[in-house]
Amino acid sequence: MPSLQLRDISVSIGDAPLVKHASLTLEPGDLIALLGPNGAGKTSLLRGALGLAPLSSGTAALGGQDTAAMNARERARMIAYLPQIRPLAWPNKVHDVVALGRFAYGTSISKLPDADANIVADAMEKCDIAHLATRRADTLSGGESARMHCARALAAATPLLIADEPVAALDPRHQLQVMQLFAAYVAGGGGALVVLHDINLAARFATRLVWMKDGAVVADGPPADTLTPKRMASVYGVKAQVDERGVHVTEPL
Amino acid sequence: MSARTLFIALGCVSLSVLIAACFLGSTPMSPGRIMAALLGQGTNADTLIVWSIRLPRALAAFVVGTALGISGAALQGLLRNPLAEPGVLGVSASASLGATFVIYYGLASLSPWAVPFAAIAGALAATTLIAIAALKTQAVVTLILIGVGLSSFAGAAMSLLMNLAPNPFSLSDLINWMLGTVANRSFVDLGFAAPFLLLGLTILIASRRGLSALTLGDEAAQGVGLDLRRQRIAVVLGAGLLSGAAVSIAGAIGFVGIIAPHIVRPWVDYDPARTLVPAGLLAGIILVTADIAVRLAPTSNELKLGVVAALIGAPAFVWIAAARRSQGGGDA
Repeated sequence: MPSLQLRDISVSIGDAPLVKHASLTLEPGDLIALLGPNGAGKTSLLRGALGLAPLSSGTAALGGQDTAAMNARERARMIAYLPQIRPLAWPNKVHDVVALGRFAYGTSISKLPDADANIVADAMEKCDIAHLATRRADTLSGGESARMHCARALAAATPLLIADEPVAALDPRHQLQVMQLFAAYVAGGGGALVVLHDINLAARFATRLVWMKDGAVVADGPPADTLTPKRMASVYGVKAQVDERGVHVTEPL
Repeated sequence: MSARTLFIALGCVSLSVLIAACFLGSTPMSPGRIMAALLGQGTNADTLIVWSIRLPRALAAFVVGTALGISGAALQGLLRNPLAEPGVLGVSASASLGATFVIYYGLASLSPWAVPFAAIAGALAATTLIAIAALKTQAVVTLILIGVGLSSFAGAAMSLLMNLAPNPFSLSDLINWMLGTVANRSFVDLGFAAPFLLLGLTILIASRRGLSALTLGDEAAQGVGLDLRRQRIAVVLGAGLLSGAAVSIAGAIGFVGIIAPHIVRPWVDYDPARTLVPAGLLAGIILVTADIAVRLAPTSNELKLGVVAALIGAPAFVWIAAARRSQGGGDA
């Protein structure tokens, strides 16, 4: 079974340690929310895990293979990576952007084989952007753009998926929509690791919460076990009430 | 219009302008005489004019335009900016410096390969420098400023060579390299640049799919399975070979590498991969047309092709730069 296993990984830039001895396992069936304040090292952890940033300690293995040594295409066929959304360089058509999800399979976006074209159409359908296929990507709203990038990740049809703040800057309705996409992906046999800032959203959808602070993983477990007022205080530095309806932040400490 | 229709249309226009270039020139000749000369049945003088002067010159303009257009499109895809181009980034100037250096020091007479090699070495040095700078900064303004610096440096070094020039003949030679011209080019000149042109073209065409992925940004492109390091090396090498070889034929001709991709882009849905070939053809058409205009213009001294290209291209550069959404897209 394909899984992403991080053992004791550290990532640093120059002398600054960004990730310190973090361990984490992502398998199909997991929907892990990676939580932590700004600068906690979440993005660096993802980059280290994917072999995009060099590790100063530990190992990151995907299906038993060292991710840093893997060929980029081979890796991309096992794990889809959705970094923080940035504006596109050119005003491409939405369909073409989603079709880039098939890049690792050697297809050109202008000449998609039928099988790939079906997967792309299916991904656009799931993300509710099929009607936008011929629109220029720079005319999309924030929510539409986020769904386009999700469709791109789903079009890769990988067993695992990593997304960095996929719901940042979305309104509540679109946040729910995107999280439901990830939940459906996991229900369909995938495994997802998603960086989130909305704790309630995380607690509602995630099977596990992984908490990071100052580059270290400080807790890893189901929401019911790890989401406590004490943890909110130690990780985010806020006073919070936690009940069955979720977490309610009252004031900064 | 589909990409295929565009390709066929540009291919037909390319052929037409190349043929037109054989028919037009400073020596008036009837179409019949030219047809006869083209088919090898004309008088010696006519055959000489068509086969040794007009056709090689037209082909040189076309090849140089194509090389610069494709390099421009590839560099724009890599740097995610429509203003990147061999001329603007200082690649052409560095290549000219390499070429003039070997000419000035007499190395060019040692081997016919000296000029193409030196021009390509200059071009590769510049593209490598820019690619390294692109690793450190995503701000394209910085890259363009580096290009301006490179151009100025190469210009200064060439002025130094001119100051030291032992006779006025080499001075006018140097001016040709700085301004860019395809006058008096022969099939032999084209032949020595051809291997480098073909190699550069092959590298860029083979790696063009990665340019589509780069639309997403470096990080996401890696996420979809692009080997970023290999892609960068391919574009730097391919664009360096092509623009270096172009300079070895015609000297530094700027701005066609910006205009052609810019015009083509909307027709190919802004896909950088699909931009390459049509941009190359269009740039070839532009230079052949501009060269016809240069030859027909009633000026006492023939205008340099590079001057005409800059007169049209520089305002277009300013226009494209001003029309960009404020620091949008590619700078992120």
